[in-house]
Amino acid sequence: MFNKVLIANRGEIAVRIIRACRELGMQTVAVYSEADRHALHVRYSDEAYLLGPAPSRESYLRADKIIEIAKRSHSGAIHPGYGFLAERADFAQACLDEGLGFIGPKPSSIAAMGDKAVARSTVAGSGVPVVPGTEGEGSLSDDDLLKVAPEIGFPLLIKATAGGGGKGMREVRSLEEMPALLNSARREAEASFGDGNVYLEKLLEGARHIEIQILADTQGNVIHLGERECSLQRRHQKLLEESPSPFVGDDQELRERMGSVAVRAAQAVDYINAGTIEFLVDKDKNFYFLEMNTRLQVEHPITEAVTNVDIVKEQIRIARGRQMRHTQEEIRLTGWAIECRVNAEDPYNNFLPSTGRIDHLILPTGPGVRVDTGVYPGFEISPYYDSLISKLIVRGETRGEAILRMRRALEEYKIVGVRTNIPFHQHLMDSHRFMAGQYDTRFVEERFSMEAPEDESETLPEIAAILATLVAHNEAQRAAQIIQRGERDVSNWKWVGRWERIHR
Amino acid sequence: MKYVATIGDNEYTIEIVDERHIILDGETYEVDFESVSGQPVHSLLVDSKSYEAYVYPEDQGWQVLLHGNLYLIDVEDERERRLRASLGGGPAEKGEYLLRAPMPGLVVSVPVSEGEAISKGDVLVILESMKMQNELKSPRDGTVERVRVKPGDSVEQKETLLSVA
Repeated sequence: MFNKVLIANRGEIAVRIIRACRELGMQTVAVYSEADRHALHVRYSDEAYLLGPAPSRESYLRADKIIEIAKRSHSGAIHPGYGFLAERADFAQACLDEGLGFIGPKPSSIAAMGDKAVARSTVAGSGVPVVPGTEGEGSLSDDDLLKVAPEIGFPLLIKATAGGGGKGMREVRSLEEMPALLNSARREAEASFGDGNVYLEKLLEGARHIEIQILADTQGNVIHLGERECSLQRRHQKLLEESPSPFVGDDQELRERMGSVAVRAAQAVDYINAGTIEFLVDKDKNFYFLEMNTRLQVEHPITEAVTNVDIVKEQIRIARGRQMRHTQEEIRLTGWAIECRVNAEDPYNNFLPSTGRIDHLILPTGPGVRVDTGVYPGFEISPYYDSLISKLIVRGETRGEAILRMRRALEEYKIVGVRTNIPFHQHLMDSHRFMAGQYDTRFVEERFSMEAPEDESETLPEIAAILATLVAHNEAQRAAQIIQRGERDVSNWKWVGRWERIHR
Repeated sequence: MKYVATIGDNEYTIEIVDERHIILDGETYEVDFESVSGQPVHSLLVDSKSYEAYVYPEDQGWQVLLHGNLYLIDVEDERERRLRASLGGGPAEKGEYLLRAPMPGLVVSVPVSEGEAISKGDVLVILESMKMQNELKSPRDGTVERVRVKPGDSVEQKETLLSVA
């Protein structure tokens, strides 16, 4: 049984895992790239080892080096987090071969679910409904895919077989545009996962993306922790999640049905540890298996908030061969949780990534607020990794309270140095459709706008005008007043005053 | 000092009377304005109502992010404005547009070539950064003048990628 865990990841999730280990009294080992020497996970861990240069390929994807460090540091197990090596069966196998625990499922389960095409045919075989596509055909060439596409029908999706997080995913509207899209999808998949294989899936329109968290221990217990609503996406990247789903709502019967199908899908691959079954749900409440994520999810905290189960700690307990702390009967969803993913992206500029140094940071606090992050003032957001800065999670007694609390927390949250998508979330919180829970996976792209709402307070533009004028005025004064270089410790207002007196 | 702040079609005439008072469209307000520890986050009290906003300088004017809304604001000294008006003509709309890399990254493709006529919204360069492929689009119609990068190039932030005339 291990007492020291190597965390093969970076950013907020590495910090999250370190926290769980700490609370369990376990030693932690961080690994980092040259770009991450100052990262929080390096600072919070008991030991830290350099992996290599900044690009993931030369650092966080270096399975050989990570295993070597695990052995050198006498770590007993590796937690892969999400992304990077989390869903690589060969990595999980290599850990086991070296006598290291892998905090996640068995390599065979990762392989079965990891090849999304194989996964679809496996669960379909156990009676779980799937979205039509090229399941169970293994890796197809571009020619084969182009041949099969018209049979599935357009619109359809190209997805990376090793995929997740919308990477290597493309939406295809016609056969003509498909070759170019295949090309870019493969390129992105290759860059993100080191595997350029793709498959096709019919695009269900007006559907919701709802997933079920499951936990399975080595004693044969499999439970589900209810659902998460993940329909708010942009370019297939989740932006906001909530639990429970406003669509499932009071329909306990649907929740139980989805839960038991999820448990069945997990059992179909002999699953151990935490995993998530993603479903597409149409407006008539028919649900289809989309894929299984054989790892900890970014949005796991909302499930933690409504179930009071610490999923990461359960993962570690399960990996140590212990029994889960809870039975299905003990799991109750209470209250409502919402997570906003705060990304270094400018919502006013086509969500372009923003890089730079975080100069200043004020985190929201107070009742019912949780922030999972890996950054702090002075930290550099580099272009090498994904743009997630932090996750803002709130819990309320009701959905209404959660929304109002999220609104309050977003307004408190100040990040200076890079542009973030916080204004996007603020607009979302004010959107009537969001408030009513009426949205599907196309909502953000098709029906949402960053334009100021019609019913906004009429004085806001005036206040903005005053602010801009005062800043412009101070700048102009400063430019006119600088005679000697260097810092002035006098307030700008004093300078303005003096300037005014001189010119009176 | 008198300024005219423009947001879209709306103009606000703002006179800075002294360090505690301004006149906005004829009405006097008491203001208290502070920058939060030298950062672009500003705290403003207007007749004791408290506001907090980000104010960013832009090539032309200012961006103010207030309560999750972004305002693009042009601030002009009233005298400058009168001078410009008497000379006739607004700020130059034409001229060369330089597409600069909004972040460091890798050029994936350049779907346009020199001399090509393009319209607003056309994709000029696809840049990969933070694991995402980002389409950089043209803000206006024009002709691609000079392409300075090719697929495979690594570019720094603010590096000029191509120019549109």
